[in-house]
Amino acid sequence: MIDEEFLVGEALVGEEPEVAHIDLIIGPKSGAAGRAFVNALAQPRMGHTPILGVIRPNLPTKPATLIIPKVTIRSLEDAEKVFGPAQSAVAKAVADAVEEGIIPKSEAERLVAIVSVFIHPRGRDYQRIYRYNYAATKLAIRRAMQKFPCIDKVLEEKDKSMHAMIGFRINNLKHPPYLEVALDIPDWRRVEGIIRALPRSDAIIIEAGTPLIKRYGVEVVQKIHQLRPESVVVADLKTLDTGNLEARMAGDATADVIGFSGLAPLRTMEKFIEECRKVGALSLMDTLNVPDPVAVLKKLKVKPDIVELHRAIDVEQSQESEWGNISEIKRVCGGRTLVAVAGGIRVERVKEALASGADILVVGRAITCAKDVTGAARAFLKEMGVQEVDQFRVMTDF
Amino acid sequence: MFHKKLKVKLKEKGKQGRIRFLCDYLEYLLRNDRTLPPDFPAFVREIMGLDDRKGYIHIRIWHQDSELVEFAEASGYEYRIDHYD
Repeated sequence: MIDEEFLVGEALVGEEPEVAHIDLIIGPKSGAAGRAFVNALAQPRMGHTPILGVIRPNLPTKPATLIIPKVTIRSLEDAEKVFGPAQSAVAKAVADAVEEGIIPKSEAERLVAIVSVFIHPRGRDYQRIYRYNYAATKLAIRRAMQKFPCIDKVLEEKDKSMHAMIGFRINNLKHPPYLEVALDIPDWRRVEGIIRALPRSDAIIIEAGTPLIKRYGVEVVQKIHQLRPESVVVADLKTLDTGNLEARMAGDATADVIGFSGLAPLRTMEKFIEECRKVGALSLMDTLNVPDPVAVLKKLKVKPDIVELHRAIDVEQSQESEWGNISEIKRVCGGRTLVAVAGGIRVERVKEALASGADILVVGRAITCAKDVTGAARAFLKEMGVQEVDQFRVMTDF
Repeated sequence: MFHKKLKVKLKEKGKQGRIRFLCDYLEYLLRNDRTLPPDFPAFVREIMGLDDRKGYIHIRIWHQDSELVEFAEASGYEYRIDHYD
């Protein structure tokens, strides 16, 4: 018994070009699904004419099913694929779903289904079109009836999954520790060489350092993303004024994380953080030369996503690094803020930095000036003990 | 990190050869939907200022798969890479 006005199911089965992608709505005739069914059938649109699912001519399936082509039908050849293998496959899958108890038989007259089918114009093999659409429709029905996926599944998978059409995943930095490679060298060709030499890893963040951005502009971020689309790229702007303007510029240049200076006026920092949220980027507060970062964080109405405890290049040779009170920073920021440590980090200090609570280790010349960039980066990753997202997961549940 | 030298033979002599090289590079980037390298203005100045060495120009690179190497390969330029590491 479906209590809701409608349920939603989705499934993708098969291979190109006959790949089947089904989006499906199922619900009572008396509810929203029923109204949509009637409206769609009564108001056909050119190229997307809805048709009833029939097992064979003169034998419509039950529950009554409306098939809507997603791709515009431009020729008789396109139409034949929908009216032939796709239509019968969807109708048979709906009837089989009743026979198998996925849809209760007692509900067959009360429910309607709307099935949106994808038929690629280059699909030629009717056998594959039929089988893929049959399987995808039945799977989509089963998922709809089971209300798959539950919200916990969505929340677990959203940061792991990769969309087939994009080829990379957006990394929201939810699984620290990370290694941030700071590219402070203002020479693009050298930077390109370093990026190409870095190992492919979910744990590597690439930082477009302030000198690099000052030389080439924030557009350099876009070029880095072209080379490494899957990597998180930080635009280290160290903004002191016009917070929202600079954050927007970096966001438009596809930066994933945008950095401002903790020395900026409070209002500038708040506007910067708010703008980062608008453009879907994470905000990073650089504490370089900030005497008391915790005091500044307490005053901020909105908190940054990342706080970077930063020792200046100019002073790191004369002073020992100090990580500061990382646990206090996290407490003040409500526990969700990541803490990055920067300045003079070497492989032998990785364990110490992580033990102090750091989530991100910012490393510059120890990697970028190494004779073996790949080896140096791997040495850090090994010491950090990072694992790739889903590296040991066997994907059987599609 | 040691640098390498990409040694590219120009298709025409002198200034005309450099201009053609730069035009070909820009065309390669645009036709392949590549974002322009951020150092493109500096690169243009660099190429126009390089000495011809028996028809070759020597460009410093830091990776054997750099975009310039991809371009030279795809555009039919005669080239070699000398490693200094």
